[in-house]
Amino acid sequence: MLSVLKKVAGATLGVALMATTAMADPYAAYKDTTLVVNFPAHPHYDAVMRILPEFTKETGIEVEVDQLPYLKMRERQTLELAQDEGDYDLIAYVVFSKADYVFADQLENLARYFMNPKLANPNYDSGDLIDGYVYNIGFAGGQKGYLEGKTGSLFGIPYGSETSVLGYRKDIFEKHGLKVPETYDEMLELACKIPELEPGMGGVASRAASGHHASHAFLLHLAPLGGRVFDDAWNPIVNNEAGVKAAEALKKIVDCGPEGASSFGFGEALGSFLNGDTAMFLDTTVVAGQINDPNKSKVVGKVGWAMHPMGVRRGSQTGGFGIGIPKNAENKEAAFLLMQWLTSKKGDKLVAMAGGNPSRFSTHADSEVNAKFPHMATFGEALKHADPDWRPIIPVWGKINADLGTTLSKVLTEDLDIKTALDGVAERTTGVMEEAGYYTWK
Amino acid sequence: MQTAAINRLAPYVFIAPAAVIMVIALVYPLGYMIYGSFRSWDPSQKISETEFVGFSNYVQLANDPAFLESLSVTLRFAFVVVSIEMILGVGLALLLDRKIRGMSVLRTLFILPMMIAPVVVGLMWRYMYHPTVGTINRFLKSLGFEGVDWLGANALTSVIIADVWQWTPFIFILSLAALQSLPQSALEASRIDGATTLQQIFYIKLPLMMPVLIVTCLLRLIDAFKVLEVILVMTEGGPGLSTEILALRISRTATEFRELGVAAAMSNYLLILLMLLTVAMFAFTRIQEVRARRQQALIGAEN
Repeated sequence: MLSVLKKVAGATLGVALMATTAMADPYAAYKDTTLVVNFPAHPHYDAVMRILPEFTKETGIEVEVDQLPYLKMRERQTLELAQDEGDYDLIAYVVFSKADYVFADQLENLARYFMNPKLANPNYDSGDLIDGYVYNIGFAGGQKGYLEGKTGSLFGIPYGSETSVLGYRKDIFEKHGLKVPETYDEMLELACKIPELEPGMGGVASRAASGHHASHAFLLHLAPLGGRVFDDAWNPIVNNEAGVKAAEALKKIVDCGPEGASSFGFGEALGSFLNGDTAMFLDTTVVAGQINDPNKSKVVGKVGWAMHPMGVRRGSQTGGFGIGIPKNAENKEAAFLLMQWLTSKKGDKLVAMAGGNPSRFSTHADSEVNAKFPHMATFGEALKHADPDWRPIIPVWGKINADLGTTLSKVLTEDLDIKTALDGVAERTTGVMEEAGYYTWK
Repeated sequence: MQTAAINRLAPYVFIAPAAVIMVIALVYPLGYMIYGSFRSWDPSQKISETEFVGFSNYVQLANDPAFLESLSVTLRFAFVVVSIEMILGVGLALLLDRKIRGMSVLRTLFILPMMIAPVVVGLMWRYMYHPTVGTINRFLKSLGFEGVDWLGANALTSVIIADVWQWTPFIFILSLAALQSLPQSALEASRIDGATTLQQIFYIKLPLMMPVLIVTCLLRLIDAFKVLEVILVMTEGGPGLSTEILALRISRTATEFRELGVAAAMSNYLLILLMLLTVAMFAFTRIQEVRARRQQALIGAEN
C-alpha cells in the first residue's frame, strides 16, 4: 500500500514538476509558430543563418528566412510594410531606413514588449548593448528626431552593426619603423609617405566613387575633424572649416592612394587592401573576417587594427543593420522572442563565434571570442567612441547624400575647388530642407 | 439583319483579346505613371494617400541642374554610340557581304556580345578597366605605355566603348540581312554600266537599305536612351554625374531619394523625348518615300 502511495506521490510530483517546467518555458505558447523574417545578404546575416537552428531547437519556433541583397531588401520592405497585412514578422533594416519606417509608423515601438513580463527576459541586460549603435540604429524621437533623448524611444535593436577602425600592414610598418597613426595629422602624413617608401603601394584604401561611396568616405573624416552636416537649427554646415578639412583629407588620401582610387567603391577599396596594394584601410569593421581568409586575401596574418584616428575628437562611424518588428506583422510576440534571443548575451556570443558582428560590450570583451578573433578587443574599444550622429538619419538624406557624393567625386576627379563645391552642396541642401519643412519654425 | 450585325461585330470580337491585353499591360501602367507624376509620392505611402501637386514635379526638374546634366549626358551618350555603331555595323556588313567559308560560324561569333546579360557585360568591362589588375591596363603597361584611368577620368568614353562592343553586332546583323535581300538586278545593271564598288555602295546599296537602316537606328536610339544595367555596374553614374544617364537617375530618384512622383515625371520627359524622335524618324522616311514616288511619277511622265 505504502509502495503504491509512494508511486502515486512520485507520479504526481513528476507531473507537477513537468507542469511547472512547462509553465516556466516562456516559449511554450509559441511552439510550432513559423516566423517569416527578412534579412540582407551580408556576412553578419550569413553567420545568423548558422545559429538560427539553435533557436529553433531551444524554443520550438521555426524561422523561415527571406535573404535578399540589401538594396533589393529595402525596396521589398517599402512595398511590404505599406500593406495592411505583411509577410514579415521580423525585418533587418539598414540604418537609414529607420527614418522612413518610423516616420511612416511602420515599426512597432518596443516598449510594449519590454514591459510585458511574459515576454521580456529579466536577464537581458540592455545596458550592455553598445550605446552608439542603439541610439544610431534603434532610437527615434529624441534629439533631432533621430537620436536618443528624453522624448525618444526604441523601435529596433542593433544587429549586424559596424563601426570604423584603421587596419594597417604590420609588416610594412615594422619594415620602415613607422608608428601606427593615432591622429589625423599622423595618418595623412603617413598616407603620402608610404608611396615614397614602397613604390607602387598606396597609403590608405578609401571609397571615393561618385555618390554614396564618396559621401561615406567624407563623413568618416568629418566627425573626428569636428564637423557635422547640420547645426542644431538644421542649417547645413558642411562647408565650414571642418568640412573643408574633411574634404581635403579625403582628397589627400585618394591622391596618395592606389592607382585608380578615385573610382573605387567599397569592393575595390577593400580589394586593394586585400591584394596588398595599400598599407592602411580605414572603413568598417565588417571586413575583419575576410582579411584572414586565404581564399580572398593576400595579407593573411599581416594586418593589425587600431582605433579610428582622432582629429579634434574621437568619432568612429556607426552603421549597418538593426532588427525591428513591422506594424503589420502577424506573429509580433514570437518575433520579439526571436529578436530578444538573437541580441541576448548568449545569442550575441553565438553569432560572434560564427563570424558575425556582436552588438554588446561584453561579447567584445569575452575571452573565448577574443581567442578566436583577436581584433575584437580593439573593436570594442573603438565602439566606446562610436558616434551615433556622424550622419543625419532623416527622410531627405538620400537626396542630400547623393548630391554630396557626386559633388565630392567632382572634387576628386575634376579638381573642382573644395570650398566652392561644399558651398554648392550647402546651398542646394538648404533648398531640400526648406522644401521638406525643416525651417517651418524659423 | 442579325447576320449582318454579327458580321459587323466579328472583327471587334477578334481584336478584343489583344486590346484587353494592351490596355492592361500598356495603357494602365502608363496612365498610372502619368497620374503619379502629378503627385508628391513617397514609396511608403499608398497612391491614394499622396498629395496632388500639379506640374510642380515637372517644373522642379526643369530647374534641377543635376537632371539637366543627366539629360545632356544621355543625349551625348546616345548620339555618339548610335553613330559609331551605325558606321561600324554597316561597314562590317558591307565588308562581309560575300561568300566566305564558315560565314555562319563567324556570324554567330559576331552576335555573341548581344546575347550576354547586361549585368555580366558591365562586370566584365569593369574588371577589364580596373586600373591595376585589369586586362587592358596590364596589356598597355606590358607594351611600355602608361595605364589609363578608364573609369575615372575617361568614364564616359569607357562606357561608350563597352556599349559599342555590345551593340554593333545588332546593327551588323540587320544590315547584313538587308544587304543580302537587295535586288541583284539593280547591282548587275550597275556593274554593266561600269559602276565602281564605292559607287555601288553609295548610290545603290545604301539607298536601297535605307528603310531598314532607319528602323535599326531608331531601335538602337531608343535602347541607348534606356540603357541602365551596364552603366550602373560599371560606374554607378560617376565620377560626378559624368555617366549618370537618365535611366539611372530615374532609378536613383525612386529608390535612393524616395521621390516616386519626380521619378515618374522624369520618365515622362524621357517618354516624350523618345516619342518625338520616333515621330521625327518616321516623318523623315515618309517624306523620302513621297519624294521618291514623285520622282518616279515624273520619270514615268517623261517616258
